[in-house]
Amino acid sequence: MSVSTPRTKEPAAAAHVPQATGRGPDSGPRRRVKPSRILLVALLTVAALYFLLPVYWLVVASTKSSADLFGTFGLWFSDPRWLDNLSEVFSYGDGIFWSWTFNSVLYAGVGGALATLLAGAAGYALAVYRFRGREAVFKVVLAGVLLPSTALALPLYLLFSKVGLANTYWAVLIPSVVSPFGVYLCRIYAEAAVPAEMLEAARVDGAGEWRIFGTLVLRTMTPALVTVFLFQFVGIWNNYFLPLVMLSDDRKYPITLGLTTWQAAANRIPELNQLTVGGAFLSILPLAAAMLVLQRYWRSGLTQGSVKG
Amino acid sequence: MNSSPPTRRSVLRWGAGAAALPALTACGQTVGAARTTRQAPTRRGQKVKLVFWTWVPMQKTVDLWNRTHPDIQVEMQTIPQNVTGGYQKMHASLTAGNPPDLAQVEYHELPSFMLVNGLTNLSEYGADELRDSYVPWQWQQGVFDGRVYTIPQASGPMGLFYRRDLFAKWGIEIPATWAEFEKAARVVKARGDGARLCAFAPNQPSWFAAMCWQRGARWVRTEGDTWVVDMNDDLSREVAQYWERMVRDDLVFVEPDMSNAWYKHVQTGQISAWIGPQWGDALLRGNAPGTAGKWRVALLPQWQAGRKASANWGGSSTAILQGTRHPREALQFAHWINTDRRAVDLNISVGYGWPAATGIFRGSALDKPDPFFGGQRYNDVFTVSDRAIDTSWKWSPTTDADFAQLQDAFGAAIDGEGSLAGALAGAQKSTMDNLRAKGLKARSAR
Repeated sequence: MSVSTPRTKEPAAAAHVPQATGRGPDSGPRRRVKPSRILLVALLTVAALYFLLPVYWLVVASTKSSADLFGTFGLWFSDPRWLDNLSEVFSYGDGIFWSWTFNSVLYAGVGGALATLLAGAAGYALAVYRFRGREAVFKVVLAGVLLPSTALALPLYLLFSKVGLANTYWAVLIPSVVSPFGVYLCRIYAEAAVPAEMLEAARVDGAGEWRIFGTLVLRTMTPALVTVFLFQFVGIWNNYFLPLVMLSDDRKYPITLGLTTWQAAANRIPELNQLTVGGAFLSILPLAAAMLVLQRYWRSGLTQGSVKG
Repeated sequence: MNSSPPTRRSVLRWGAGAAALPALTACGQTVGAARTTRQAPTRRGQKVKLVFWTWVPMQKTVDLWNRTHPDIQVEMQTIPQNVTGGYQKMHASLTAGNPPDLAQVEYHELPSFMLVNGLTNLSEYGADELRDSYVPWQWQQGVFDGRVYTIPQASGPMGLFYRRDLFAKWGIEIPATWAEFEKAARVVKARGDGARLCAFAPNQPSWFAAMCWQRGARWVRTEGDTWVVDMNDDLSREVAQYWERMVRDDLVFVEPDMSNAWYKHVQTGQISAWIGPQWGDALLRGNAPGTAGKWRVALLPQWQAGRKASANWGGSSTAILQGTRHPREALQFAHWINTDRRAVDLNISVGYGWPAATGIFRGSALDKPDPFFGGQRYNDVFTVSDRAIDTSWKWSPTTDADFAQLQDAFGAAIDGEGSLAGALAGAQKSTMDNLRAKGLKARSAR
């Protein structure tokens, strides 16, 4: 918003110069809105619709029966039976959706938290401590940002198979606690937000390095850490390929993978079409909740770094 | 069998050749099974545990086995369906040397597993004796160089699903030939108030392959160690031109089947026929419940009046992957789940397809009049259809990639870039490229 604030003043200023733009005299006294602003709002509205439409569709679709899902207009309700549908999602297949939800929360929650902590510590260390090879380490991490995690899934699987960890919770958790982008962001942020004077003062007061990190630094870096956590949480929550390769026991699946097994069986058991849609709807709720709760931090996290940098 | 299958040695050699190609590792393909099958010695009374990967919801069948076979316990693990990741998982597990003992593998995917030596030679464990329990053409799908590599499970013999009420309303006879089918389509267009006889699905190369299969085409065959590709033959072109005309004359909807739009047309009667597989009954029943009682099933229209050629869409087997330590027990389970009457009935209840076991149909859950089809014993039609399927159809080890390219070309043709027949010519070339990229010998049939 900081970008658009100055612009809002321009139309008001222009209004003091009547007919300067060659419009009719009767439009003079009124506050005129600049065309560029209308365009901007229109574009943003279109973009918002573009992003919200699928969510809206999902909400509507989750209230329908399998037959109505195909037979009725997609963007409006028809004979809504939301509670029936959602309770069926949870009860189908001995309540396996509960397992998938638990697993997703475990992978994304624990994985995201550990990844945040590690990224915070690594980023802080790279920003504050001077040691040989610091830049080299940082560049390797940067290279890690460019490597798509999908490309690593298969080699990781071979590795985990060797040590006997394939098809265990660890197989998804361990790779999830690594976030090169998080390290990158935390370093940039720590460089800008953690003042050397503060560290000096703390050291003079006799605080150890761990204590400084655990109390002072983590608190100062909260916006960056929330950002990293959200990114990582969403990333793990939506991850498909890694759990696909690593896991074969469907009781260990996260929601993403579990829903595809339902979708696959929908060819044979059509009611699963509805359950897949209902499950997809439920699966975005935790993400929406995380966004709403944490977005305050996230926004300040994204802008704060840039201002201070 | 009018063509000789690839010899095992040559398959293995191709596998070795493929391993040297970096392109295979780049596209996620594996380079060969890391562990070979060996029967582990078992003590008396020792429990054997088998792992079975499938995407067909057959848990109840597996439970039944576990209750009745305390010494061989099977753990079924539900994995994502075939191309959505299932096969990728299997290949990865073969490479890593920790594959499941048993896995669901479709017929068209078997050659690509042979290529990486991913299947256990079941002839060593007495599978040849089981031959007579299965429909011959399905059994042959798993035979390479005279050796058995998989136990067939189910298939999809095709038929014509049609709305009897609408046909009667428009005065349409059940089309016995494709020419009559086209005439019927013209009648529906003229009298149907916006309705069409059926839809052409550019996204279903497997369906189109089945149509060519019925016409008598054979897209691939082997001669010695060479794959002979013949996708652009006169027969396939005839099929392509037929559907081209149906599309250009606006006699059919052009839409993916099993999509929202298609289901909607089926529900509203805008579509009154579907050239579909036996397992499609569940799709109609589940997604268009409002049309119950109005559907009937007939045999496929013929290219030559009086003939009885049929086709198959889909089909899969219970394979015993390379690397298991209990091939005998796995074979015992694979045979049981596909032939035991109670097991088959449970499988039918989850819509696994048309049983590959012979002599199982009579008295099974399929052998009943069905109210959705107006009380017709509709599966009798598929029994006839199943017998009329030409058994010599072979699959290329690169079918997934070949069909993906064919699908793209069909999509482009429908959008006005080229024709369906032109897409076949393109597929002919890309299929040979795909085979050669695997280090295999390939040549064009013409």
